[in-house]
Amino acid sequence: MAIQKPKEILLVDDDQLFLKLIEQVFKKSGFKCTVAPSAEAAIILLQEGAKPDIILSDYLMLKMNGFEFRRYLMNDPAFQDIPFVFLTFFSDKDLVEKGLDLQAIDYVIKDTPINVIVSKVNNILFAVDKQRELSENEVKKAAKSLNIKSIPVKAPDIKEFSIDFWHQAYHDIPGGDFIDFIRVNDRYTFIVLGDIMGKKWMAWFFTFGFLSYVRSAVRFAAFNQEYSTARILQQVNDVICFDEVLKDILSSLSLLLIDSETNKISYAGAGDLPLLQYSSETGELMSVSSSGLLLGLFEHGNYTEREIDLKPGDRLFVFTDGMIDFVDKTGKKSDYNQFSKTLKPFLEKENNFTYIAESLFAGSLNEQVDDRSIISIYKN
Amino acid sequence: MIKVYKELNDVLLVTLEIKEASLENGDAFKVEVIKLFDKYHKSIAIDMSVVEYIDSSFLGSIVSVFKHLISFQNEVVLVGLSKDITNLFALTRLDKVFKIYSTFDEVSK
Repeated sequence: MAIQKPKEILLVDDDQLFLKLIEQVFKKSGFKCTVAPSAEAAIILLQEGAKPDIILSDYLMLKMNGFEFRRYLMNDPAFQDIPFVFLTFFSDKDLVEKGLDLQAIDYVIKDTPINVIVSKVNNILFAVDKQRELSENEVKKAAKSLNIKSIPVKAPDIKEFSIDFWHQAYHDIPGGDFIDFIRVNDRYTFIVLGDIMGKKWMAWFFTFGFLSYVRSAVRFAAFNQEYSTARILQQVNDVICFDEVLKDILSSLSLLLIDSETNKISYAGAGDLPLLQYSSETGELMSVSSSGLLLGLFEHGNYTEREIDLKPGDRLFVFTDGMIDFVDKTGKKSDYNQFSKTLKPFLEKENNFTYIAESLFAGSLNEQVDDRSIISIYKN
Repeated sequence: MIKVYKELNDVLLVTLEIKEASLENGDAFKVEVIKLFDKYHKSIAIDMSVVEYIDSSFLGSIVSVFKHLISFQNEVVLVGLSKDITNLFALTRLDKVFKIYSTFDEVSK
């Protein structure tokens, strides 16, 4: 079970003594507190990246007062949805109405005992979480009833190879990663792994547009007997650059073609992370890079393909950037080499792919930052 | 989020003042850069030396403003990327797309 992160509150008040007092009480109640002695200072903290779950702000402050602060936040899409509570000595009806027009969630009169203020904030956060959960469940239900999936249920059976995949959605909400296995005939199977730049529902929505184009391009290539992964990527890119809806959406894509007659793998990539190839003979884990740019970036994406030769016992990994993102004491990081270093010892002693994938994030790398997807191609 | 540092003849030097560049601030970043471009009508060099982490959503926002400026024959150049972020750009071939400099001095040379 995931450990619940402490809630973060931004406390804003020009009364230093009161600010210290309220900070201590919130800290004791398990909150992570950020404090600001003025609305201006709070704005700087937010602009520098503070991401509170809720803001509790005094109304009466020198220079910018609480209303002006709230109005400022309302005009900024990055901050307008942070729940906002006014703290004031006033209980004047007009003031309350004026504040509620600014979509403040609530008012707290400053004379209220501080533990009651904490309870009130806890109740508001609980209600906000509940509402979010309900909305997400509604969309999940709708997606399920439409039977649309950006991640397949199972991997294909291909002669001479074992294909596996593992996917973990960010915050359990479908996101921008998409996987597909397209079996053209007994000989050729395409493997697709993409990552729309963005997160959660918005990115998920666009996965279907990209997947449709990839599937069409693969089918056309198969009809014409043109099995070139680079040419397929270029065709997908051509269409996306002219698509009015998708042209501002970018996606990485790894496209692989397995030929089970020759046992060769052809690979072309678009802004994707280099694949990792494990040699059972030497125990080395090497990166396999491609030259292509993200889909949707330029009309000429410089797509080229290369052949990958796997010997029995070798394994090839294709993965999205969520696999290389992790959190340590100093904050969030993207570190490809660290991922490779963490993966290698597992490969030397373990053959079960699901076990490997799950074990990778069991230790210090467990806090998820993005969707995580990885496909393994094992040569029997 | 963005502060104007200096206006040169053909490029505007700005600093991005966030440690974590992610989905949460990507849209606001796009709006601010485009506003600056509408005002100054020239290429923009963004110093990112305080940025410690970029997620793919924010990367998308940078690429998107780059595409916007390119359509007006201007560009976005990046300055002072951390080692991790430089690696990420190289891994995803974005280092072939953006001009990347260590300092503002290099940009103005």
